[in-house]
This record gives sequence, C-alpha cells and structure tokens, in this order.
Amino acid sequence: MSVDNYIILACVLFTLGAIGVLVRRNAIVVFMSVELMLNATNLAFVAFARMNGNLDGQVIAFFVMVVAAAEVVVGLAIIVTVYRSRRSASIDEPNLLKY
Amino acid sequence: MNPEVMTAPSIDYIALLPYIIVGAAGVIGVIVEAFVGRNGRRPIQLVLAFGSLIGAFGVLVVNRTTLGLQAEGAIAIDGPGILFMGLILLLAILVALLMSERQLDPAGDAFAPRASALPGSDDERELTTRGYFQTEIWPLFLFSVFGMMLFVTASNLLVLFIALEIMSLPLYLMAGMSRRRRLLSQEAALKYFILGAFSSAFLLFGIALLYGYSGSVEFSVIADALAAEPGQTALVVGGVALLSVGLLFKIGAVPFHAWVPDVYQGSPAPVTAFMAAAVKVTAFGALLRVMYVALGGVRWEWEPLLWIIAGLTMLFGSVVAIAQTDMKRMIAYSSIAQAGFILIGVSTATAEGLYASIFYLVAYGFTTIGIFAIIAMVRDAGGEMTRLDQWAGLGKRSPLVAVSFGIFMFALASFPLTSGFIAKFLVFESALAVDNLGLVIVGVIASVMAAFFYIRVVVIMFFREPVEGSPAAAVPSATTTLALAVSAAVTVILGVLPEPVINLIEQAGVFLR
Amino acid sequence: MDAYAPILVLGLLAAGFAVFSVTLTTFTGPKRYNRAKVDAYECGIEPTPQPMGGGRFPVKYYLTAMMFIIFDIEIVFLYPWAVAFDQLPLFVFLAMMLFLFNLTVPYVYEWRRGGLDWD
Repeated sequence: MSVDNYIILACVLFTLGAIGVLVRRNAIVVFMSVELMLNATNLAFVAFARMNGNLDGQVIAFFVMVVAAAEVVVGLAIIVTVYRSRRSASIDEPNLLKY
Repeated sequence: MNPEVMTAPSIDYIALLPYIIVGAAGVIGVIVEAFVGRNGRRPIQLVLAFGSLIGAFGVLVVNRTTLGLQAEGAIAIDGPGILFMGLILLLAILVALLMSERQLDPAGDAFAPRASALPGSDDERELTTRGYFQTEIWPLFLFSVFGMMLFVTASNLLVLFIALEIMSLPLYLMAGMSRRRRLLSQEAALKYFILGAFSSAFLLFGIALLYGYSGSVEFSVIADALAAEPGQTALVVGGVALLSVGLLFKIGAVPFHAWVPDVYQGSPAPVTAFMAAAVKVTAFGALLRVMYVALGGVRWEWEPLLWIIAGLTMLFGSVVAIAQTDMKRMIAYSSIAQAGFILIGVSTATAEGLYASIFYLVAYGFTTIGIFAIIAMVRDAGGEMTRLDQWAGLGKRSPLVAVSFGIFMFALASFPLTSGFIAKFLVFESALAVDNLGLVIVGVIASVMAAFFYIRVVVIMFFREPVEGSPAAAVPSATTTLALAVSAAVTVILGVLPEPVINLIEQAGVFLR
Repeated sequence: MDAYAPILVLGLLAAGFAVFSVTLTTFTGPKRYNRAKVDAYECGIEPTPQPMGGGRFPVKYYLTAMMFIIFDIEIVFLYPWAVAFDQLPLFVFLAMMLFLFNLTVPYVYEWRRGGLDWD
C-alpha cells in the first residue's frame, strides 16, 4: 500500500473532525472532534516520516500526543466548571456574550 | 554494549538564560503553591513574577549582542527576536502590575478566590468573606510569558507549535478566573478554548503538510526546499494556508476574529490587557518570522492572501466597532481593526514593513495596557462598568483618568503627536514603497471610520452629562497608577520623539535563518 | 483473502459465544426483581441530575483522570528513552531527570492540595 493512502485517510479524518467541531452541540463531543483532528495530524506526520525516510515525523507525533493530553486537562477543567455552573454541556446554551 | 550513537547537542545556556529564568520561576511558583501556607503565597509569587520578568529583561539587555541560532537551530535569537522578547517582557511587567492590584475591588483582586467554586454558591461567599485569594494565576501567567518568548523566536515548526500551546493553555484558564460576572468569564474561557484548540489543530496540519513537502520542520530547510523547487504543489499551498489560519486566529484577523469580542469582554481586565497586548505582539512576531524566513520563497503565494485579509480586517473592525455599546467589546473590535493595519506592514515582505510592524506593535501594546488599566478602574460594587453610557461625565468626575483615556483614544485614532500617528505613517509608507496604493487607500478609509468611534468615546466622557449612578473612577493603588503612567508616557513620547525607538528597531536588522 | 479467514472465524466464534451465553442465561438464571435490579446502574453515580447549587459534583473521577494523563505522558517519553538507554550520552539522562522533576512538580502540587484524598 502506498503512503498516499495514509495521507488521504489523514485528510479525511481531519475533515471529519473539523465538521464535528462545527456541527456538534455538546462541548465534550466538540472537544473529542478536536482530538480527532490532532490524531489525524499524527497519522499524517508518521506517514510523511515514512515517505521522507527520516524519523522527525514520528518524534513530532510524540510531542503532539503530549500537547493533546495537556489540552485535555485544561479543556476538561473548563468544560466541567461550565457544566457545574449551568448543568449543561451544550455550547449553544452559554449565550451571555452577544453583540 | 552498543557505542553511543547520539552526541549531546551543544546548548549555550547563557544565551537561553531569559527563557530559563521565566520558566523556572513558573515551576518554582507551583512548588510554592504546594508547600507554602495560604498567607505566605502571595508575597512569594509577586517576588517570583516581578523578579523573573525584570531579571530576564536585564539578561536580555546584557546578552543583546550574542546573536545566533541556539539549541541546534531550534531557536533563533536575532535582532527582531530580542526586540520582540524585550517588548513582551515589558508588557508582561505592566500586566503584572495590573494583576497585583488589590484596591479597586472591595473584596480584593480581580480574580475569583477559587475558580472551581460554583458561582453564587455558599461556598464561594464563604471563601470571599474569609478573604481567600487565588495565587495560582501567577505561575500560569509566567508559563504563558515563557511560551510567548519561545513563540517569537521559534525557528522550527515543532517548537512553534509547542510554544503556541504553552502560551495558550494558561491563557484559556486565566480567561475564566474573573471575580465578578463569573458566568460570563467561564463562557469566555469555554469559547476561547474551543476555538483556540480548533485553530491550533489547523496550524498543526499545516505543519504536517510542510513537513511532508520538505522533509523537515526547520525554517531554513523549508526555505531551501521552496527555493529549490519554486513550483506550487498541493502540499505547499495547503500547508501555507493552514499554517496562516492558525497564526491569524491568534492575531484576531477577519475571518478568524469571532472569539475576540467575547473573550475580551468576559475575561478579567488585567487578563484582557495581557491578551490584547502581549498575545497580539507575540502572534505577529511569529507570523513575521514564519512568513519572512520559512515561506519567503513563496511570497507571491501569501502576499495577496494577506492583502485581502488586511483590508477585510481593517474595514470590518472599524465598521462593527461603531455599533458597539459596551466599552470592552468596542476596544475588542478596535483591536481587530488595529491588527489589520499591522498586517499591511507584514504583507509588504520588506525590511521596512518589518520595522513598521514592530514599531506599530510597540505603540499599540503600551496604549492597550493603559486602556484596560482604566477600564478596570471605572467600576461599581458589581464589577467593571463597561456600558458606554455609564462612562458619561467621567471627564467631570475624574478629570485625570478621563484625560489619559482620551490620550489613548487619540493614539488609537492616530492623531498627530501620539504614537499611533507615527506607527500608521510608517506602515502606510512601507506599503507605498512596494507600490501597494490600493491597500493604503483602504487603510486610510478605515482609519477615518475608526476615528469616529474613538472620538465618540471622548465626547461621551467630556461633553455628556453623567447619568444616574455613574460613579467616578475608583482610586487605584500605586501599581495600577504606575502601569497607567508608563503606558501614557510611552504613548506620548513615541508620538513626539519616535527617533530613538525607530533607530533601535532598524539597528536590530532582519531575521536570521 | 486467505489471510483474513482466521479473523473471520474468530469473529464468528465471538458472536456465536455471545448469542449462546445470553440465550442460555435467560433460561437457566434465577429471576428475582428488586429495586437495585431495575435501577439504570447498580453502582456508581446517581443517574438523575442533582439540584443546582446544593448538589455535589464528583470531581474525584476527574482528578484521577488527570493523574492518569500525567503518568501517561511520562511513559510516552520514558519508554523510547529506556529502550535506547545504552546508546545515549549523559546529557539525555540529565534531560530525562529534568523532565521527570517537572512532572513531579504538578504531582506534588495535587498531593499537597488534597487531590489524592478520596474522602
């Protein structure tokens, strides 16, 4: 199987994640979609590392995983706080900030 | 036993000392939070924050002649890099002065005693009456400054991404820590986080595509690869576009601006000052370096993109700001418009454009800090009074505060004898030097429209009768006064005597690669 | 296609066992009904939302999840480092010690602030 297929898969996953962020209402699901985008990027990095014949991409994938984990901690903290004060994790419901 | 196949990288720790000081102070701050009793934390955190920021600035000044690529080419400490780091540290010191303010709010500082307590719960009231204070914000702040310093000097796309996250993650939390109007603040944090994470994923995918094209994440290797094969491939086009999306989001350029007004309005005023001044400077620093160093070879690719975005950003920010009735939102849209003007300088892709952008950022950064210092002062028992009509008659009740706010407004409206005038003049001049008359005309039109709402604020403050219940500005402690005085002084001095600063910027030269 | 045959067989076996055991228990198992039996969850969090303000939110699960992430990240870097340990210079050892120290700092913070107390 050629590397191209992995790149295409990565692009598809990334697009799915982006669509998920745009159309889903639940903050947790939106957040999972962002994580899907990051992991799609990881797949692209590893595939490109194979294509370019160096290890940089694989090392970067490690760093991206760490950043994603840090993002989970911060993101969950914010979502849990909002959920506790509003009893809802919908991202449409917070509507105090408007024009 | 296998022989050692890896050799230790050569790292010049003296050159990296400014980063190490700020980062280590953040880590020590966390240890202080763990082991020091409740009353002892605040003084130690203040010493750590101010000590490390001033210390790092001092080391930077001493080290200013040691230029070069550090840490195996991952970090470029060059003239513009040192300028940006110095500017970030100065702005951070002013923000720290605002953050340590405890006199404006009767209950204490601007931050919730415990961010996890439910808004309006008995728990929270008890924490407030006991006089508890949140001190975790100081290590978070230092980590964010550390990320900013790394972000503007990153010479490697991986370091760029990591630095972006180190800068942003603490900011998401800081946005949600307001003492007053907690729901608004939490909502701002949620919006900032979701959109910030979304945009950094775009940035990362852009990095992946450029890595796929060039086989490396080093700026110099990417530049060489682009120079060797000037043809456009899907990887280059996609990579440049996605990378720009991530950076333009942090700048708050149209159409990636949606978070700016909400987050600026909801966050506590010192944090908003930090975001509006330091984050914008940082994001422009990184954008300039990426565009000029790594992507300079495909200039024709991103120049038209930046022209369109700069024009849209200026016009949109100026038009929408006119309709605002909330002071913080108006300043947010004004900061969007200002970002458009700076983008004019970036889009020239010349050394003059670089110098003009840096000067504009210096002028804009200090003015913004002053504005938010005053916004934090105009308040009643419920928090900041940000409705525009509540500002009516401020000129009669607190003349000194109103006059300084007027100076900042005139600076943003780029009246002569203020820093904003020189900055805008330099930016337009750099665009004319590359025969980009169209963008300059759009810029002038946007400036005229923007002048309208800046002047309107001055009119409201001085020529309208105060409405019922609009108090005078609260009397701040020495720290806010100092920050305010410094920003007002810089705003005026840069307008009257800009030569030394312009010379300093031009001596710094261009980016290393 | 031949390579996938064992997977197909395994899948059929798994599905067959699941159907078989579910069917068998409906005939052989004892049938007793009580309140705990008809609840949505026999243990864990109450499924109904608690009242606003007065209710308590079980933050402990969340803190545990954060701890998991701290150690998860640690392993991501420790594993490749340990595998290649004999080929690495002293610098990498010191760098890893610095990394571990930095990871210990938030751990100590959580411990001192009571994040590890379950009750």
